[in-house]
Amino acid sequence: MSKTLQSAKLEWAKIDEIIQKRKVLITCGTGGVGKTTLSAAIALRAALDGKKAVVITIDPAKRLITSLGLHEEETALGNHPMDLTSKIQEAIQKTGYSIELKGSLDAIVPDTRHTFENFIRELSPSESIAQKVMSNPIFQIFAKEFSGTNEYMALERLYSLIKQNKYDLIVLDTPPSRNTLAFLNAPKVLVQFFEERMIKWLVLPANKLVAAGMRKALGILENLTGAGFMTHLFEFASSLFEIRARFTTNLNSIMKTLESDQVGFMMVTVPAPDLIPETFHFIETLERLHFHFDGVAINRTLSYLQKTEDSEKSENLALAHKIIEGLQQKERQALKDHTIPLCGKLPELARDVHSLEDLLHVAMAFHANLS
Amino acid sequence: MKAKGSYDLVKFLNTIKSSLRKNLIFVTGKGGVGKTAVSQAIALSLAQEGKRTLWVSFEDPTRPPGEWIQKGAHLWHFNCDAGQSFEEYAGMKVGIPALTRVFLHNKVIRYLAKAAPGIHELVLLGKVWHERKNYDHVVVDMPSTGYGLAMFQSTQNFAHLFKTGPLYRDASDMLSTFKDPEQTALLIVALPEEMPLRESLELNNYLHELFPDNPPSFWVNRKFPRVTTQEQEEASPPDSWAEPFAQTVSEYIQKRSILESYNLRLWSERGIHSSELYLIPFSSAQTLESVVLGLTRQLEEKRLL
Repeated sequence: MSKTLQSAKLEWAKIDEIIQKRKVLITCGTGGVGKTTLSAAIALRAALDGKKAVVITIDPAKRLITSLGLHEEETALGNHPMDLTSKIQEAIQKTGYSIELKGSLDAIVPDTRHTFENFIRELSPSESIAQKVMSNPIFQIFAKEFSGTNEYMALERLYSLIKQNKYDLIVLDTPPSRNTLAFLNAPKVLVQFFEERMIKWLVLPANKLVAAGMRKALGILENLTGAGFMTHLFEFASSLFEIRARFTTNLNSIMKTLESDQVGFMMVTVPAPDLIPETFHFIETLERLHFHFDGVAINRTLSYLQKTEDSEKSENLALAHKIIEGLQQKERQALKDHTIPLCGKLPELARDVHSLEDLLHVAMAFHANLS
Repeated sequence: MKAKGSYDLVKFLNTIKSSLRKNLIFVTGKGGVGKTAVSQAIALSLAQEGKRTLWVSFEDPTRPPGEWIQKGAHLWHFNCDAGQSFEEYAGMKVGIPALTRVFLHNKVIRYLAKAAPGIHELVLLGKVWHERKNYDHVVVDMPSTGYGLAMFQSTQNFAHLFKTGPLYRDASDMLSTFKDPEQTALLIVALPEEMPLRESLELNNYLHELFPDNPPSFWVNRKFPRVTTQEQEEASPPDSWAEPFAQTVSEYIQKRSILESYNLRLWSERGIHSSELYLIPFSSAQTLESVVLGLTRQLEEKRLL
């Protein structure tokens, strides 16, 4: 290993350990914490170190595209891996790092436009059943906003890649969400939707509904929603019933695979005051699911900036310095609890990552002073 | 060129001002841009003007579900909860308490209320819509971009899905309120960073599709003080920097200033102007309340109300 990578490796110690230990790394976090850049940088780091690596991002904003120096049109074949190896070699030459690329890096940016359609197709025992589900007006409405399908499709994609056994390291950048736990909770939401007993009730014809309460309740619902809706609802429920079995089986085998110690989960966040409860909930949820925790990566830290004095200080400049000092102080407060299991501390960038060269800088320059 | 620019700015200021005079004010944007602080500051400012104001959050886990608290002479906070709102709504629609109980306790109804996509969102927005008549202003702290949009989307969806019946009428009425610029203001909060700005443009496009006649107004939050001149900024645009890092505090401040001006210029070139709220220097005693007060002062200084 070259000297540059060696010295940088010290700063990357924990993340490098994870790269060695796991075959799959799943990064979780809310939007805006730099999860996509970090995931790509970790995969790149693994590739530099000789791994056959791939990064998958399920991200409607397609942010990975820019940080990988790709253009949107290059991802037209979104579901297939794009080989970035030669582009990385160019980037190494341009940036002048004395390293060589020993492994390879692919990127997969799955097409999320037809996620729910794909979801139904994949689960339906036949194309005609898939068509029946998809022509239902309830489906057409729900397809637009069904939460959990992006997450489920990400897991499906990951599962098939794991089974192919083509890669040494798969980094999955989970869809951006409201909270860090959303990705882990998504399957539960879907399972709830496919609850067998309930669908059965809806599938029963009205005259078989023995319980008077049930008849009454559905009657009220019909009054509220109009008759047409109820017909669609019963149809929808009966088609769901047909795809339910495969969904449950798939999900069970996926969740089982994720319990393996080859799979690790990393939380990506920013130094905010609620860091401790957030971390705690994350670890708790992982434990409940029997998943492995790889630590918290704190992104966008400012503590690495060296203090300097400006010769002349305008009012705005003085205010800017005060703001930075305040942010650094806030960061120290958030991180002062030593029980937070940090695995990396990443610097706030002065601008967004625009190209593979930029990504290479990030992969080489992580500040990981974990003390 | 200059004259046209300043004309736009006047027009823009009037847009911002008029958006704060609306009955319903939805504060949207990506996660982490400060929607909670900004929406609360707007509500506080309106209440200080003597307007009867309700600040709404949706299922804030740090507050009890459905909690109402009076926060000032004219200001209330409501932590809107979908479960409670659903029960309340069912009660209103079904009318007879005994029947309502049968309905709400039914297994299938409970399953549908919980699992059917969109119901949750529809009910939350429905509650806000219902409360609007009791206040001069209802300021809503919307969930982050995707989920927030889904809330408006579900209203639209249900209006399409139910062709008849009371639910159809309510969803349609809600929609006509939301798309009416006389009654509803849509605010997009963003940070002066590239990705958040880009995403708020996407949000703008979606909102435009839903409510073509009610264009949102833009708010850029947490702006750094500008320490560079336009000349300096043009001499060293962000793309020309060799590395995405800064080494020292001074370099970071300089680069940050260039980056923000550069990003905001890209916006104004697209004809999008934004109101700017400055970052409030952190102190160890800082709370959400103090940030809100700081933002409220900024709103006053701008005379936006």
